[in-house]
Amino acid sequence: MSTSAIPATGPSAGTTARPAATARSSRGGRPVDGRSAPSGGVGAERPSILATAVLLLGALYCLLPVVWVLVAASKSPDELFSTFTLAPSTHLIENLRDLFAYRDGLFVRWAGNTVLYAVGGALVSTVVSAAAGYGLALFDFRGKKLFFNVILAGVLLPAVILAVPQYLLFAEVGLANTYWAVLLPSILNPYGIYLARIYAGASIPREMIEAARTDGAGELRIFARFAVPMMMPGLVTVFLFQFVGVWNNYMLPYIMLGDDSLFPITVGLSTLMNQGASQPAMYTTVVTGALVSILPLIALFLLLQRYWQSDLTGGAVKG
Amino acid sequence: MSSTNASTLRRRTDRFGYVFVAPAAVCFLAFLAIPILYALYVSVRREQVVGLGLGEGGRHQEWAGLRNYAQVLADPEFLGSAGRVLLYGLVLVPVMLGLALLFALLLDSKRARLRRIARITIFLPYAVPAVISSLLWGFLYLPGTSPFHFVADALGGSLPDVLSPQLVLLAIANIGIWGGTGFNMVVLYTSLRSVPGELYEAATLDGCSELQIALRVKVPMILPSLIMTCVFSIIATLQVFAEPMLLRPLTSSISTTWSPLMLIYKDAFTENDIYSASAGSVLVALATFVISFGFLRLVRGQAFAQEER
Amino acid sequence: MPSAPPRRPGRQLSRRTVLAAGAALAGTAGLASCGTSSGSDVIRLTFWTWAPGIEDVVALWNAQNPDVQVDVSRQDAGDAAVTKLLTAVRAGNGAPDLVQAEYQAITSLVSANAVADISADLAPSTAGHFAEGIWSSVQLQGDSVYAIPQDTGPLQFYYRADIFEQHGLGVPTTWDEYAETARALHSADPSLYLGTFSSTDPGLFMGLAQQAGASWWQIAGDRWKVDVDSEPARRVAEFWGGLVEEGVIARDPMYTPQWNAALNNGTQAGWVSAAWAPGVLAGNAGSTAGSWRMATLPQWEAGETATGNWGGSTTAVTVGSPHRAQAVRFAEWMNTSADGVRALVEKSGVFPADQAGAAEALSAPPEFFADQPDFYELSTSNAEGVRPLTFGPNVNVAYSIFNDAFGTATQRSTAAAFVDALATIQAGTVADLENQGYDLA
Repeated sequence: MSTSAIPATGPSAGTTARPAATARSSRGGRPVDGRSAPSGGVGAERPSILATAVLLLGALYCLLPVVWVLVAASKSPDELFSTFTLAPSTHLIENLRDLFAYRDGLFVRWAGNTVLYAVGGALVSTVVSAAAGYGLALFDFRGKKLFFNVILAGVLLPAVILAVPQYLLFAEVGLANTYWAVLLPSILNPYGIYLARIYAGASIPREMIEAARTDGAGELRIFARFAVPMMMPGLVTVFLFQFVGVWNNYMLPYIMLGDDSLFPITVGLSTLMNQGASQPAMYTTVVTGALVSILPLIALFLLLQRYWQSDLTGGAVKG
Repeated sequence: MSSTNASTLRRRTDRFGYVFVAPAAVCFLAFLAIPILYALYVSVRREQVVGLGLGEGGRHQEWAGLRNYAQVLADPEFLGSAGRVLLYGLVLVPVMLGLALLFALLLDSKRARLRRIARITIFLPYAVPAVISSLLWGFLYLPGTSPFHFVADALGGSLPDVLSPQLVLLAIANIGIWGGTGFNMVVLYTSLRSVPGELYEAATLDGCSELQIALRVKVPMILPSLIMTCVFSIIATLQVFAEPMLLRPLTSSISTTWSPLMLIYKDAFTENDIYSASAGSVLVALATFVISFGFLRLVRGQAFAQEER
Repeated sequence: MPSAPPRRPGRQLSRRTVLAAGAALAGTAGLASCGTSSGSDVIRLTFWTWAPGIEDVVALWNAQNPDVQVDVSRQDAGDAAVTKLLTAVRAGNGAPDLVQAEYQAITSLVSANAVADISADLAPSTAGHFAEGIWSSVQLQGDSVYAIPQDTGPLQFYYRADIFEQHGLGVPTTWDEYAETARALHSADPSLYLGTFSSTDPGLFMGLAQQAGASWWQIAGDRWKVDVDSEPARRVAEFWGGLVEEGVIARDPMYTPQWNAALNNGTQAGWVSAAWAPGVLAGNAGSTAGSWRMATLPQWEAGETATGNWGGSTTAVTVGSPHRAQAVRFAEWMNTSADGVRALVEKSGVFPADQAGAAEALSAPPEFFADQPDFYELSTSNAEGVRPLTFGPNVNVAYSIFNDAFGTATQRSTAAAFVDALATIQAGTVADLENQGYDLA
């Protein structure tokens, strides 16, 4: 569902599993890697038609809109409203050409903006979160506990609720309607900081840091050379969450941006849907644009799917 | 190396803690704390016009006290939007997490076939942002373009219009369920996979059925994950904005103030009343915090608290 | 990913990292500067607009005026455009030099100090290009002029000639006949509707109320008067509510995929729309080309030729533009020169506000109405029947309440509910103005 500046988006259930896994292993006292013992018990391997059917039904439900957009993107504007919804046609290439030709390739620009906001924002956010998590996990300083609690409170208070005040503030300092207006707020990710702290605590042996210090390495060098690589799998997760958060966030860019050359794809497509009374809506372009923008994302997610999980279990090394 | 030296070094290096948290602290101040303070400031002010209010000098700002808050709280639209969103959350969160848990347990049970394909497919909507999923579902909802209605008509039956006022909340919730189930499923599944296997063996030896194992062993073991997914889902529902905004032009059943964030948006940008919008933002932020914090308290906050060192 | 770790130890390094990251981002932010970045001698003007094909019109100007180049930035139409503009103006940056503004938005924009009084920079002949009623809508008070009219949208009646013929229906000339036709069509084939009442198009309702003689806002001395819930408006609401209550016209919003499908498959056999409708029909229902005809809007009293206006827009210059005189020159060229108006008609398909220019540029009918040679002749004579109307400073608020109030009313589907909706809008509009501190008449 919409917008959340925190971890995930939608039912942004967040990563949850990671702290949970860590927590469990501290209780269970055993590093758990999937199933070391036969899991579901002896009779569990008997196939069940019902179980398969339920899963497939779920898969069908999730696939339907994607199939629809694939089919719809192959139709000419007339066919979109006159032929059966799920009957494919042959105009995909034309539609793609129209999409990319639309106002001298504005869609490409939106795609570029989206990459900038989502990848750029998430990268910087991950670096900031990693540093903070590292600092919280391995240093003792005054105000640390307070800071951590404030961050936890931040987790419960998604910044997007404050999009309007944020906008007013940005407007005040002249940053509204610039790339910065979307990029800067994307950097803060309290849940990412929280996760990074857990990761740092779980994956970085203090002795190693001490040893590096004794060798005379500087603190920042230690962070970059030793800590970051050790935290890396976790940081990938932090990055992915923030990436999805920004990619999914509609309200922030919608409010902050006026100039359509700064729009991300989401805001751009919704603009095309609402062209106003005196001209036709560009449904074919919108549908094709939707297809073009979700396909790479779906591919990317399937490729990276391993990361959501391997890392969630992989972190449970230390209690 | 003497011990005093070590502790001096310790103290000196510990100061680097500030260096590491500084960027995050600055971001926190700039993008969360200061906006809150600014919203608080703006929310106690208002603007008044002079004469016809045309051109420069047509308006001036003044102190308004708590008037904006009183106005927002007394606004039936605001209360209505809050009620709708609570109802929306009551539908969305249990259904979405219920489905996610069901699928996760099925994936974990090994008794279903095609698990890998199912897992990937159910996870797939997570890559689709709310704007695009609302757009796709919008086409699937409208009787004139929906394949469901087409098939129903062809079979001589008829389907209810899901964009009618009675059902539109479910139509909006469905988009959230569609987008979120897969992600939560993966989270819960991952969590399930780290449950020690011997627990199951013991339960199986005790003669527990698979369903009993699921309910009595597995679910309690992944409770912390469930709680966290629940908290984040609640927070997300309270911010619902994109789905109703995108569906609104398609139907007369969604008002411009369907959700609190839509109301705030309308106040700020349609009515050009940033003062009420700020008061609304403060109230929604407060409510979100209270609800999610309250929920964590209710379940004894174990998910976060354990991580304290 | 954090592949750019600081190489040297020390305190500054963390700052350097931040700066490096900042510099990387700044590089990309450079892309943002597509606004009024003045080159050597060339003045660049940014123009926010949503008119289709406007880029081609602007290209013509750019070719003729190498020293004043206009860059088009395409926007959401209508209310959203106003919102964005106010947003940018409040932000103090990102506002364009020129904006397309609908007539009903002008007062709001003036009230928010977003668009400038351009009377000092206008050529003396400009006012003469426009009908008095249209020109007065860009003036508001005294001698100030806040925009140059671009196009208008006189309401007229569009219908499917083939379907009318098939069911032996005549073209309605009064609203009573319209109601009769709607009943006849729907009873002949229950899947057919003569039209729909769209709760998401306040502009259309406003035009219909305008035809009946309503004006929701009036200036009384130096105070505003709100008159939404007036007799003419109630007559219009009751009429449409009655048809919806009978079920002889549809009640789905317009401009949805559903409505598109209905236009294509002929279940929407008529459409009360404006002079710009051919472009929308061609784009949304291309498969029905040649089947549509246009007639004068049905009247409340037989023999009248009154109509209202729906949409249509102006070109305004923003308060913050550093190149006001050049911006006015461009706006005048586009909306009053022979070249500009012809380009508007040909490239953008608008119905121009410039009377003389319209007569010259609109000789052939739009392609979609190729079989109705007098299309523009009839539109031009319809335009003369547009009744005067004043828009107040909070049209967007009233329209937003309209959406919700008539949304509820269409759900309840009774004529009484439609009339009640007007009272809701009246109350909300008054409350908003009072809340802003207006002293109402």
